[in-house]
Amino acid sequence: MSEQGKASETPVRILITALGGQGGGTLMNWLVSAARASGYRVQATSVPGVAQRTGSTSYYLEVAGSNYEGVFNLVPMPARVDVVVCSELMEAARVIEAGLVSPELTTLIASDHRVYSTAEKIDLADGRFDVESIAHAAHRLSRHCHLLDLQKVAGDHGTYISATLFGAVAASGALPWDISASRSVLAGGAQSASIDGFDAAAALLTKGDAPAEADAQPAATTLEQLIAYATAELIEYQDDAYAELYHTRLSSICTLDSVSGEIKEEVARRLANWMMYEDIPRVADLKTRRERYAQIKQECGLQPGQTVRITEYLKPRAEEIADMLPVKMAQRILRRVESGKSLPLLGKGRRIPSNSAWGYWMLRGTAAMKKFRRRSYRFQQEQSEIESWITALQTCVTGSEKFALALASLPRLRKGYSDTLQRGVAAYDSIFQSMVTVALKNKEFDAAAQVLQDSIKAALADDQHVKLTESIVQFRSKASLQMSSTLQET
Amino acid sequence: MERSFAREIESLRLGEGEEFFGEGILAVTKALLQSGVSYVGGYQGAPISHLIDVMVQAAPQMSELGIHVEPCTNEASAAAMLGASIMYPVRGAVTWKSIVGTNVAADALSNLSSPGVIGGALIVIGEDYGEGASVIQERTHAYAMKSAIWLMDPRPDLETIVKCTEQAFELSEASNTPVMMELRIRACHVQGSFTAKDNIAPDISMQHLMENPAPHNYMQLSHPPVTFSQEKQKYEQRMPAAREFIQRAGLNEWVAGQHDNVGIVVQGGVHNALMRALAELNLVNTDGAPDIPLLILNVVYPLVPDEIVGFAKDKQAILIVEEGQPEYIEHEVGSILRRAAVDIKLAGKDLLPMAGEYRSEVLLDGVVAFTTAYLPTAGNLLASNDYPAEVAALKQQAGRLLQRAVPPRPPGFCTGCPERPFFAALKMTEKQIGKVHYSADIGCHSFATFAPFNFGNSILGFGMSLASNAGVKSFQAKRPLAVMGDGGFWHNGLLSGVTSRLMNGGDGVLVIMKNGYTSATGTQELISSPDVQLKKASEEKSATHGESTIEDALKGVGVKWLRTVHTYKVDKMRKTLLDAFQSPFSGLKVIVAEGECQLERQRRIRPIRAKALKNGKRVVRTRFGVDESTCTGDHSCMRLSGCPTLTLKTSDNPLKTDPVAHVTNECVGCGLCGEVAHAATLCPSFWRAEIVSNPNWWDRFIARCNRWLTGGVVA
Repeated sequence: MSEQGKASETPVRILITALGGQGGGTLMNWLVSAARASGYRVQATSVPGVAQRTGSTSYYLEVAGSNYEGVFNLVPMPARVDVVVCSELMEAARVIEAGLVSPELTTLIASDHRVYSTAEKIDLADGRFDVESIAHAAHRLSRHCHLLDLQKVAGDHGTYISATLFGAVAASGALPWDISASRSVLAGGAQSASIDGFDAAAALLTKGDAPAEADAQPAATTLEQLIAYATAELIEYQDDAYAELYHTRLSSICTLDSVSGEIKEEVARRLANWMMYEDIPRVADLKTRRERYAQIKQECGLQPGQTVRITEYLKPRAEEIADMLPVKMAQRILRRVESGKSLPLLGKGRRIPSNSAWGYWMLRGTAAMKKFRRRSYRFQQEQSEIESWITALQTCVTGSEKFALALASLPRLRKGYSDTLQRGVAAYDSIFQSMVTVALKNKEFDAAAQVLQDSIKAALADDQHVKLTESIVQFRSKASLQMSSTLQET
Repeated sequence: MERSFAREIESLRLGEGEEFFGEGILAVTKALLQSGVSYVGGYQGAPISHLIDVMVQAAPQMSELGIHVEPCTNEASAAAMLGASIMYPVRGAVTWKSIVGTNVAADALSNLSSPGVIGGALIVIGEDYGEGASVIQERTHAYAMKSAIWLMDPRPDLETIVKCTEQAFELSEASNTPVMMELRIRACHVQGSFTAKDNIAPDISMQHLMENPAPHNYMQLSHPPVTFSQEKQKYEQRMPAAREFIQRAGLNEWVAGQHDNVGIVVQGGVHNALMRALAELNLVNTDGAPDIPLLILNVVYPLVPDEIVGFAKDKQAILIVEEGQPEYIEHEVGSILRRAAVDIKLAGKDLLPMAGEYRSEVLLDGVVAFTTAYLPTAGNLLASNDYPAEVAALKQQAGRLLQRAVPPRPPGFCTGCPERPFFAALKMTEKQIGKVHYSADIGCHSFATFAPFNFGNSILGFGMSLASNAGVKSFQAKRPLAVMGDGGFWHNGLLSGVTSRLMNGGDGVLVIMKNGYTSATGTQELISSPDVQLKKASEEKSATHGESTIEDALKGVGVKWLRTVHTYKVDKMRKTLLDAFQSPFSGLKVIVAEGECQLERQRRIRPIRAKALKNGKRVVRTRFGVDESTCTGDHSCMRLSGCPTLTLKTSDNPLKTDPVAHVTNECVGCGLCGEVAHAATLCPSFWRAEIVSNPNWWDRFIARCNRWLTGGVVA
């Protein structure tokens, strides 16, 4: 190998960030091998620590010609990194945030798939980081930017993301040696899948990343499509008349010209979800649909010749049984529950083999009980609450768009099952009974809109309702109203 | 063990003149072999875990040379091991993570350093400081000073690290003093090369036994009255001998530079970061040498006054670059200069931050301040350097474009980790009885301090959780809880926690996570690790199930209330916890939460399954999933789990705005999702699929029947 470079040149600085277990160390070792095979001096280091388990990790390399006499640094300097490779999109955001990606210098190569962090996952609504702002920042702040779904490429070729990241960085032109030197590192190994992944990623990068970004955007659903979808589901849920009721309720809001599309859409969505509240027959029905079995098999990657047993984890309590029964019977059971007793055979977890004949027909039988739904206790309860909500919407919809929109989204809080549902309903009730009732009475919608919006946010901030209680206490002290505390009971 | 070093171990055999390429820790191991050590030991922990792993895996090769390898149960036992060098001319080396390991080893270190050593004694310190560190940010330097143990801090390149390792033994023998060599995290993991030498088989070793033990010599006991004379020896004989050796061997490096009216004294370990800062400021010439003279301290304790005075005396100002607090070196240099009446400006922590890692960008600010004041010709140019402004602008712009702070991504429990279900059970228990004081400990279970569990009122050290809530329990209405791992239990939890509590007849609840290994440091073996037979017999089941060393020890010391519960029995765990908190029994209640480390279990299962599949045998794989249609997107399940494979997905249903739960195909089917759905009465959305490969005739028959009897719906 001929001698390369000057004694005092600046080394090529490469930063890899990954999640523990993604093979960032493997990628680093491949780059080291390629550099050495091409006659370069190289130093690499990492901070694996305990972060090997799912946490953020980083690896740093410096590469210089054989004549280089300066020292190699062990830590990347902000704005002084030539190549940044990220195994996940939010990890790219983390590097960008730290100032390590520079518009003058940096070639940024990142897989644009997402692995959600715990902080994003535990949100009661949607805590996901905005991927568009990451892509925007990545393009704006780097010299060359390649965002590609390298996780998918790896999956398609039966290999790991380390191989596809390697292919992409090797093809990017940012390394001082050519792609064949990188590729031959893998050629020595026994894994032909790694080479396939490497080649596919290299080809994808060379082709350009625009198409991959384009199909990440699903087409927006129009209001008409939304209503059509809801109508079909409502007929499945109950019957034609029930779907008709949906349209009647919807038109009492949506036929007014002054109502914005945003409100219409929100009402159409929340009303449909609410009217299709999840009771036992509904769950049994959804679990025994033909397309659901197909979906499970696809998710499991079931191969021809394999068989599968599917088990459901159901735990109906007396409360859910009461929900299905006529009002009087339900009230009797609920009184029993309140006094600390339950019903025989309930409150225990049941494992139902839902793709066995008996499991399937048992669930179908349960689903068929939707016939009695209209007479059930919960149906009465839900319909009366829906009516109150619709009435409230009708009152305010012409008064304040902002308030109406917040009120339209309020049923978002009513979701989940058992304790989760109770918490959501309690939040809904306390907001409705305090803020909404007062606003309706005083006709002061504009002032109340922000408060309502904030308290919905507060209700979704934590599952102990700490924030919501604060916000309601604040509201009450402001309005100096004496109201019975429904929230404290939760 | 988590990582195999089979390939790397081969490089330990390299001989004279061959090029070694590899990781820093491995280079140190090679240097130990080149130094003729008779024994090595240590206790694992990042960043030196790999050193232990390499030694254990290389034990057969090392025994060929006669070297004894001992993975110790804690750092105190590792430090005490060096006591062999007090009486015998044998070289020994041990390693651990600092500052915590040095704290644990402190008693043995005092007793080792007071009499001093005959054979070279080296402690390789993983200085867990700065980014990626997992312990309290303190300096090992303090121990070096208080016990008079010499401390090396080599430049982070393999040539220097290897040279310092070898010379550490010579220094130790020349001055009859143990030597510590600190390597920061990135230096431990740095990959580079050096020219190897032949390994040396020690003269006295397990291959060459001594017929007789050393004669009784009271002067070598750290026991009064000789401790008083030993204290004098440290400073009257050993330290001058050390200084003489350091100078003679040229361990510290004096690099000349054109601006010789100023100079920088730098710890070897920080040298490279400083050089890069100087390069950014154009203070490095075309040969890659600095324009400002440097004194690089590869030995940071003791300092050699002649070297310091020689470097400083004709200058106007020197800057001490010393990472961490407090500024021990700066103080010592100050004393040296005052005693020698060298009246120059001494700069250091007045221009550089007291705390935190000295990365290049931090050093750059300090160097600019220093040169602006004392090197006006160059400094005024540097002051206009716009690097800090460039970085600030870049970060600001990034923050604006990203719109919100990037959420943290701390390490967490692995997919299928058996500790996760315990914390789900505890969360449910607290829902029933309210919060209890939770004394946390060190180990994988300390990931429960992060979201979604957020447990822990205090962490007091490895194996200290039970001991740490002895005071707390005296004023808590509810019984406090202490959680520790089996690693912590054996490290010192049994003695400082359990026996102390029993002796005092104290109340309290202790949970021991019995996963079978010290998992957080890379699944090293414990005294209670399941043995090979047990692992073989357990096949795919948890191998810790049949292992009872912990329970036997607890019974042996007199624990009366003891329950072992498999962690995946979430409801049973919840009831056992309730019982522990509410039982009328007033003594110590211990719950052994059993469940084998999933990393180790999967490592065993994978080859078994692969072989069975290849042979056409029936293999069942279990995984969980979530029904998108019934999931309402509240994510309660994630707040009770935090499993990496339980994640989010945009719903295909246009009526749903919140993302629904989704289980990825990496699910190992641990069963927690189903258990939690039941125990917490969560929701009906979870399903379990048992996928049968190579199904037998019965599987196929049943599948066919089910298909036929459901009109093909379940097909």
